[in-house]
Amino acid sequence: MKSKKLSIIKILLYFLLVLISSKGIATPSTIYEEQTINITKNLRCLICQGQTIHESNSDFAESMKKYIQGELKNGKTNDEIFKSLVEKYGQWIVYDPGISKNTLLLWTLPLLLFLIGGAIITRKILKKI
Amino acid sequence: MTSIFIFLNSSVQIKRNVTVVSGKIAGLIGFQFFFVFISFISLIYSFIISDFSNETVYNNSHTTKPLFYKITGTWGNHEGSLLLWLLVLTGVLLGFILKSRNEPINYRLLTTLFHQIIVIGFFVFVLKTSNPFNEIFPVQKEGLGLNPILQDPALGIHPPILYLGYVGTSIIFSAALASMISNNVNKSWAKKIKFWILFSWIFLTAGILLGSIWAYYELGWGGFWFWDPVENVSLMPWLSLTALLHCVVTLEKRELFKNWTVVLCIITFALSMVGTFLVRSGILNSVHTFANDPSRGIFILTFLLVLVLLSFVIFVFYENKNFVQKSEIFTLSKETAVLINNWFILYFLSVVLIGTIYPIFLDVILDEQISVGPPFYNKLILPFLIPFVLFMSIGPSMKWIKTNFRIGLKSFLVIIITLILSFMTIYFIGEKNIFVLLLFIGFFYLLIKSLDQFSKKTKNFAQIFSHTGFSLLLISILLNSFSSKEIVKNIKVGESFALKNEKIIFKKITIEKENNYESIIGFFEILDEKNKIINLKPEIRIYNEPEMATSEASIKTSLFKDRFITINIIKDQNFFNVRYQHKPFMIWIWISTLIIILGGIFAIFRKNKEVNI
Repeated sequence: MKSKKLSIIKILLYFLLVLISSKGIATPSTIYEEQTINITKNLRCLICQGQTIHESNSDFAESMKKYIQGELKNGKTNDEIFKSLVEKYGQWIVYDPGISKNTLLLWTLPLLLFLIGGAIITRKILKKI
Repeated sequence: MTSIFIFLNSSVQIKRNVTVVSGKIAGLIGFQFFFVFISFISLIYSFIISDFSNETVYNNSHTTKPLFYKITGTWGNHEGSLLLWLLVLTGVLLGFILKSRNEPINYRLLTTLFHQIIVIGFFVFVLKTSNPFNEIFPVQKEGLGLNPILQDPALGIHPPILYLGYVGTSIIFSAALASMISNNVNKSWAKKIKFWILFSWIFLTAGILLGSIWAYYELGWGGFWFWDPVENVSLMPWLSLTALLHCVVTLEKRELFKNWTVVLCIITFALSMVGTFLVRSGILNSVHTFANDPSRGIFILTFLLVLVLLSFVIFVFYENKNFVQKSEIFTLSKETAVLINNWFILYFLSVVLIGTIYPIFLDVILDEQISVGPPFYNKLILPFLIPFVLFMSIGPSMKWIKTNFRIGLKSFLVIIITLILSFMTIYFIGEKNIFVLLLFIGFFYLLIKSLDQFSKKTKNFAQIFSHTGFSLLLISILLNSFSSKEIVKNIKVGESFALKNEKIIFKKITIEKENNYESIIGFFEILDEKNKIINLKPEIRIYNEPEMATSEASIKTSLFKDRFITINIIKDQNFFNVRYQHKPFMIWIWISTLIIILGGIFAIFRKNKEVNI
């Protein structure tokens, strides 16, 4: 059995090595494009019905895409861009509700329920042993 | 002519009072179903002949539409879809009564009673707020037409299939309350009700699948699930049905979790009512919201609260008196596995529920608008999926009552194959995130463990298929989301661009005229890495009634990836906006869902076989 375990570790290590060494090379312009896609995928197109800016072809979405790419080229970080957009359009525009005073319950309530559920189940199982 | 049918409908309402007392319930319920059926058929007929004296037809149909879309237009609107709701509601009751001939008369009567409460509620709702047979005067010559994005074959049959599952949960609710009162929650009840749970579950799964396929090719951006509130609303009953399915098996085999099964039955139907409320009230902004009318929302909300309160009262009164848990649960047993399954599924359910309704409450109470989108669901669901699939992998090998685990050579082999597969996949898609790796390990482990069940002596095909399907679904979704590639270009006819090793050439444009729309068709040639030519023909359709442009994707499906292209006109410019995508393993998302459904069908079949013996 021991040799098997060892061989697993060897395979693991091998693959990790391959993974680390296989970094792709990307040109700056494609980086901006990819980053823009990543950002716009998390933004709501305000004039559409349930579409992201990335998916939409509306005038609003198109101008937003240009704007964001421009901001990236100006050296702004993702967080800065999100922040300025939220200031301008409100929290409605970002699909990630983030953690704030208003959304605290949104994030914690499901987790709390999970813990309660776990407690109930543990009690149920352990009760009669 | 049509108003006669409404009258008949209301007369059926009165009949239900007789229903409860009378011994010949089946006949009366058949009668009720028959009348709803006639109303439904006559509405379809009004749509077919384009009877524009009917308000619903006028608002949602047009003479130039193809016959198929005239028919599907019947339920492509608020009023018609509610009539469909009623049809299914009365239909499942009829089915239940016919199927339950050998069961206690008290139980059948009580089920009918509870079900009739729901039926009356919806009858009143239809008649008061959304009568499909309202007349308009003067009679119009032409209708306003159906929303073009609803004019699609998959979406044509999506509502009836989905409703069979969605509204089918009502009978589970009624039967659960009835069996609780008549002290009938036991093995044989579990066996019987399992049919209806499976029935709803299969149709709901199929309905969701159809909706996703439609979203994929019709909405034009290549996604199939966006955690849109309306999608969530269909997922929630599905989750609780899935939990219920596992729970009811435990009840059947071990007479355990009686109260919990009943609670799940109630939750399931309550969720489908919540869904109806959210979608029909117009609170949500989506293609499913046909009209915005607050009175409808208030009605459903009140009705929902009444039903929940009713079931709560019944539950409190009949709960502990009747069921005392006699058998104990061992830690290593299938019972524990089912509990863990329910625990996780209910957690996922709570994430979806809270994510869907929290923004509404926040808006109402604090007047603040937030969007809860994919990032929220991903963060709260994905980490929990890993332990969930691990439990799901081990669960089926557990035995009822008590299991003795042996870790043999085979377990190691399974783990090694899992690791190799996961690392290869990760390497192949070039993803370096350790979390993604863990997800793949979990999913592949589930896949192999599920397939391994084939080697067992006693095979449970229902479980093997649905679990295998589920693991394949997770793997394909994960692969799809990590290795999708896309490029968006604004180009003119004759120009070309490249994605990876492929060249996309914009050949020409033609314009064709159909009866109810005009279409601009782009001809594209794709040269793949082996220089093979693939032709794609995306369209822009400009519908005349109502006037609206839609973009029709052109998709070339292969075993490992879909090539997906859409075009759009750019205002005042002579070039086109072209979006070309590689969507890997798309077909596997559909196939694996079909495998899941197949598992459900096996379960129904298996049940029948047992009854025969």
